[in-house]
Amino acid sequence: MQNDVILVIVVGTALVFDVTNGFHDTANVVATSISTRAMAPRLAVTYAAALNFAGAFISLAVAATIAQDVVSAGAITPTVVFAGLIGAISWNLITWYFGLPSSSSHALIGGVVGAAFAAAGADAVLGGGILGKVLIPAIVAPIVAFLVGGIAIVVCYRILGRERPGPVARGYRLGQVVSGGLLALAHGTNDAQKTMGVITLALIANGNLAANSDPPTWVIVSAASAIALGTYSGGWRIIRTMGTRIIKMDPAQGFSASGAGAAVILASSHFGFPLSTTQVISGGVMGAGAGKRLSAVRWGVAGDIVTAWLLTLPAAAGIGAATYGVTRIFGTGSLGPAIVTAIGLALLAMAFARRIRRGAAVPAP
Amino acid sequence: MMGMLATIVDTQALLKTVVASAVAGVGVTFIFSLAILGASRFVELSRDSRPAAAIAFGALGIVALLAAVAAVTVGIIVMTRK
Repeated sequence: MQNDVILVIVVGTALVFDVTNGFHDTANVVATSISTRAMAPRLAVTYAAALNFAGAFISLAVAATIAQDVVSAGAITPTVVFAGLIGAISWNLITWYFGLPSSSSHALIGGVVGAAFAAAGADAVLGGGILGKVLIPAIVAPIVAFLVGGIAIVVCYRILGRERPGPVARGYRLGQVVSGGLLALAHGTNDAQKTMGVITLALIANGNLAANSDPPTWVIVSAASAIALGTYSGGWRIIRTMGTRIIKMDPAQGFSASGAGAAVILASSHFGFPLSTTQVISGGVMGAGAGKRLSAVRWGVAGDIVTAWLLTLPAAAGIGAATYGVTRIFGTGSLGPAIVTAIGLALLAMAFARRIRRGAAVPAP
Repeated sequence: MMGMLATIVDTQALLKTVVASAVAGVGVTFIFSLAILGASRFVELSRDSRPAAAIAFGALGIVALLAAVAAVTVGIIVMTRK
């Protein structure tokens, strides 16, 4: 019974993480389309939400749980997963508040690493896995996307720079609808699978599923629905940063950025090299701006984004470790996670009430 | 140091990812830009009563568009085979 309570809390928390993942990362998919007016804002998020939902069903292989590569399997308990998820959710909400695009995957990894470290010590953390699967890709992803986005915009201007702007803009806007759709599908596939993996891991650990089981249908449907719901709600603060604050984008730049992003993400998927969607798209946007001229990029905003990237792992790890510490004050049972969940819900309710009193800081367009 | 990194990081996958990303990203932008060029010039030249040149640019636009559609299809296949 006690284990079932923890399981229910972990599943609920994983779905909340999935919702924050969706609304935090909506910007990756729709920001360029909205800022170049390829699509109306509400239509863009609806389109992205629908494709996120569909993307979650495209690949139904068991999601390789990222925790397996970064912490030792013996350190994984439902409470560690719970604390890791709280770390990731908290960091997603903090970066959303400041309008900063950061990697939800890195937040989840950081949260789980921090919780595992607090639970089982340094031996539980797989340094090689963190370096190879997280840190190196975190450096490579934005650089590759920056270069591809930069070269792509130069190609666009070389080919079409002397054409009439009207048809060219219409053409690139159409292209953005397609490349944005690919990004949404890829995002749904990649990120919803992480939540499916976390829930499946918890079900296996609790004895509800046999080892190496596929995610049950209800897990797939609920993860797909959660990420789609989050995407539909739209993280407008980050959309604004990505779409207008890094560079002032024309349709060719929007197409170059989203096309470069889609190409990099799909190539990395094909070769099994994990890259962060957020970092890829941000790099592509900066590249598309710098390809036009270096001064077109607001480097101060870009610097804030890079700072958020650097802080994501340690900050989420710190919150994950602290959360694990708090849960252990109440013993090893379900009381600790239940109390942390209650505190989290109370804080969310307070923030929501405060926002209602003040009005939306960044109204949905 | 490099040897240690090579054992931790799959450098082959990394290199392939970088090359494929560059080829796909720049390549798709190139062919889609050609599709827009073809369509734009086709309309312009048709209006100027220059049918031969218009047909040539129209053909360029269609071929480039088909190539772009093929690239998107490959992208979806890559996702489904993960």
